[in-house]
Amino acid sequence: MNTPTVSRRNFLKASSLTGLALSLGIYIPTNAEEAEIINAAEADSFGVEMNAWIHIEPSGKVTIFSHRAEMGQGVYQAIPQMVAEELEVDLDKVNIVFAKGDNKKYGNQVTGGSSTVRGSYKNLLTLGATARQLLIQAAATKWNVPSSDCYAEAGQVIHRPTAKRLHYGELVADAMKLETPKNVTLKKRSDYKLVGKPLLRQDTKLKTNGTATFGLDKEIPGMLYATVERNPRLRGKVKNFDDSATRKIPGVKHVFKTKMLVFNTYREGVAVVATSTWAALQGKKALKVEWDDSGFEHLSTDEIFKRQQQALQTQEGLSFKQQGDASAVISQATKKLDVVYETPYQYHACMEPLNCIAHYQDDKLEIWGPIQAPEWVQDAISKEMGLDREKVIVHMTFLGGGFGRKAFMDYPHEAAVISKEIKAPVQVVWTREDDATQGPYRPGISYRCEGVVENGKINAFKLRMAGQNNDHWRGGPKDKANRSTSEGFLKPYADGIKNLSIADVPFETPIPTMWWRSVYASTNGFAYESFMDELAHEAGKDPMTFRREHLPDERLHRQLDKLADVSGWKTRKPGEGYGMAITECFASTVGHVVKVSKGQDGKLKIDHVWAVMDCGWYVNPDTIKAQVEGSIVMALGAATQHQVTFKDGVPVDKNFYSYQLPRINDIPPIDVYVMDNDEPAGGVGEPGLPAFAPALANAIFDLTGKRIRKLPFNLATV
Amino acid sequence: MSVKTVYLLAILLSMTAIMAATFIPDTERSDTTLTRIETAAAPIRKDSVASVKAFASVYKVLMSPRCMNCHPSGDIPLQGDDNHLHTMAPRRGSDGKGLYAMKCANCHQPTNSPGLHTPPGNPDWHLPPATMRMVFQGRTPHQLAKQLVDPKQNGNKTMEKLLEHADDGLVLAGWNPGEGRSLPPLSHDEFKKAWTTWIKTGAYAPLNGKLLQH
Amino acid sequence: MALQRINAMAIIKLTINGNEQSIDVDPQMPLLWAIRDVVGLKGTKYGCGVAQCGACTLHLNGEAVRSCVTKVSRAAGQKVVTIEGLSQNNDHPLQQAWQQIDVPQCGYCHSGQIMSAAVLLRENPNPTDADIDVAMAGNICRCGTYPRIRKAIHLAAGAEQKVGKNE
Repeated sequence: MNTPTVSRRNFLKASSLTGLALSLGIYIPTNAEEAEIINAAEADSFGVEMNAWIHIEPSGKVTIFSHRAEMGQGVYQAIPQMVAEELEVDLDKVNIVFAKGDNKKYGNQVTGGSSTVRGSYKNLLTLGATARQLLIQAAATKWNVPSSDCYAEAGQVIHRPTAKRLHYGELVADAMKLETPKNVTLKKRSDYKLVGKPLLRQDTKLKTNGTATFGLDKEIPGMLYATVERNPRLRGKVKNFDDSATRKIPGVKHVFKTKMLVFNTYREGVAVVATSTWAALQGKKALKVEWDDSGFEHLSTDEIFKRQQQALQTQEGLSFKQQGDASAVISQATKKLDVVYETPYQYHACMEPLNCIAHYQDDKLEIWGPIQAPEWVQDAISKEMGLDREKVIVHMTFLGGGFGRKAFMDYPHEAAVISKEIKAPVQVVWTREDDATQGPYRPGISYRCEGVVENGKINAFKLRMAGQNNDHWRGGPKDKANRSTSEGFLKPYADGIKNLSIADVPFETPIPTMWWRSVYASTNGFAYESFMDELAHEAGKDPMTFRREHLPDERLHRQLDKLADVSGWKTRKPGEGYGMAITECFASTVGHVVKVSKGQDGKLKIDHVWAVMDCGWYVNPDTIKAQVEGSIVMALGAATQHQVTFKDGVPVDKNFYSYQLPRINDIPPIDVYVMDNDEPAGGVGEPGLPAFAPALANAIFDLTGKRIRKLPFNLATV
Repeated sequence: MSVKTVYLLAILLSMTAIMAATFIPDTERSDTTLTRIETAAAPIRKDSVASVKAFASVYKVLMSPRCMNCHPSGDIPLQGDDNHLHTMAPRRGSDGKGLYAMKCANCHQPTNSPGLHTPPGNPDWHLPPATMRMVFQGRTPHQLAKQLVDPKQNGNKTMEKLLEHADDGLVLAGWNPGEGRSLPPLSHDEFKKAWTTWIKTGAYAPLNGKLLQH
Repeated sequence: MALQRINAMAIIKLTINGNEQSIDVDPQMPLLWAIRDVVGLKGTKYGCGVAQCGACTLHLNGEAVRSCVTKVSRAAGQKVVTIEGLSQNNDHPLQQAWQQIDVPQCGYCHSGQIMSAAVLLRENPNPTDADIDVAMAGNICRCGTYPRIRKAIHLAAGAEQKVGKNE
């Protein structure tokens, strides 16, 4: 790979503040998008606090901090794998710990957008290389030999001519005193020992014997347990409540009205605090609450989609992308396609329901929990509760799933409010029912897709979406199109389609929405790539060839070739049940081929899924495969099983008995391939999801001639 | 009286009429069965009309979700008033008590679990064993009646045992189904009465069962 | 390890992971919460509370019981094994296979997955894919690690067979 280009780098030498240890870090100016690497310890002179990413003690113990949340996607592995590569230490000798939430130290710690590796790999590699160079320099000085005669390996510096060696620990004291190098040379990819290898994850052992501490497993001394009966509707208030039965339950200590911040509004509820989770749950069950649901609309699912689709028939919407004049071509065409796709609201359904521990004392708040975005928690809660930002300390635990849901501040805020009220540390436990019914959800979206095919090519392609804009919940502008209007849609299509129009028809409801794994790509991908398939059939062309002809991009062609190869696409027979789709998400592109057939019982069956991921430069191919496998399973559920339905403004499905997730007996064989190239690193945790639903629907069309335009659909009754 | 009730009554009345008209006992085959039962015990006062009429009530109960869901045609129990396949697809197993990590008693406790959509409970919760599957699902009244009194298909039950079965713990569990679940269409007393009548009047199998399935 | 307790209602004696232990709890309390909040073993997870997801699976007298719907009183005098007690050194063939294949992603459901799989292998040392489907369909994994769970069970079964042959 190329040497990272970092505009301003300041390497600081170790200061006594950090104790006797070589601590190296990266200085990231507040709010900078891209971190600027500096290296550590003389932080006080720089006016910043030291951020320890690598910490080497004289004992030789190496600690690498993970600044991002581990929710299954493998950063706990990826970050050390990158740092250790350049540092030249064995991964199994490295101690990995979660950093506290502190974006002044660690930069953007929001784990979302599949951003950890692609956002910080250059910095992390440089960091490791800097440490290595410092240690080599320290050894060379000690031996009085040129540093070019020395190299590092397995936590030691070795003098090549004499084979003399010193452990890193023995060099710490000297390395601390050295001027940090301005330029370091990164290893060549061909010399990598760790990066790019399918190394086993460091957290697996903890996750096979019950010792990994998730949010719900955390205990702090004196901690009480709380549950909250919350208004089933956002913006709903508590009118009054009867806690007489609750207070009779042994162990229940406090019952009071509480609230939590949901974006710019509050959801009210009644908190029950007790000496055990069970007592709190019993107490909650015994509550009688009367809600005030006035002042906002109570919508049902049918009405939501009816309104969206009416809007799509009457409004052009806010333009997101416009080239040529698709509308004119479509209005003059003798033959055109004009169809509507529909994708439902979805719930994240992390296996670990939301929970959070808060300990509010005087002017300080400490939080422990499964948290994707510690800095947002600090921001929101400090502002909300009038605390100094530094006095809101956020500790991250392992996350039992995140998928976007745990990037929000409602549940930590709620815990903080309850702790403040009872003046004690408290763990707020959400039941599965709470978790399933409070949102925020992936927005349900309708798409109107119009197109004209002439001479086997797309002459006009016009897409409009109508669905809630997640940004609006966070104060985003309402006069601009959703910035994710084209998410999922391959950018090079714009070079292959002359008349292209993509627009967002604004649509609002009082239902809180937010990111769900792969965000808008997860819904856009279904509409856009199903429609691409419709256009291919309209043109009478092979769907893969048709896409290729509209994608003037060699990298994509290589990926399509690979997809065709591994899936046997070219030797398939038409009508045999093959479908494909390819989408872009967070700087990576994933193509799927799905093969379906009808069983003897007449029911549709998925025989196989092939996926090809192109994420450019990567750290751990096995993690990538795992992420794509998991994305496919999640997409399968979203395509064929579950959706959030609202009745009178209240979500209907409360637990897995009706919000049914895929089980092991639902899963087809899945093969995942990763493209090898030196392009910049792209995301891994999410991009495998969006192309699955359209590939499946396209396969079903190939087999049955039936076009599916609405998710979810029941495989058994297609 | 609600429209629904009137409607139901109308159906019941018309069923009675149909039954009276068409339920001719399957004398020949019933007799074979009866011989075996008579040797077992108790006085039988043969009355094919009364027997078939009683069986109509029995059938309604046995085909209700509370009974049929554990007497599926396949090896996966059913759930809900729509008799859908048990969502996590547990299997019968040879003893009817499930397989591997999916044994009935792993979730189904000795008593009903509190709350909606929680596992109903009974100390003896199980399906019929693989060797005696006692399928209700899909059976016509005729088929079910024949099956119930056929020792080869009813677990070698004598008439006495059959009569006692009305008070079996799992049968009774149908009337204690746990929060949110519908009850069988008759009370247990009514069911037991119909069951007893059906058997004691000769356990006749109705010929045309299809009409009763609605 | 327990922090606070509900007012004394009953002393219940359990054998947890080979250790006899008396706990003072509401006998109606689900075994899950007794083990987590009172005994302090956190490896057994809360996922749904209604026996739908299997995250709370532990062994009660060797069976893969869903502890979220099992009253602690049912376990009185009985043998309970949680994920922490499945093996001495995290080296049950299933744990080893899980590690070798890197099955977990978030990892939350895998205590339950492994406890379910352990019963499967005990009763069927060489399961087919269909057997795995039957045994494991009660354990949900939202990260979608199912293909690897299947692979790891086969691997562990192979490993066990080999051990068997060597003996």
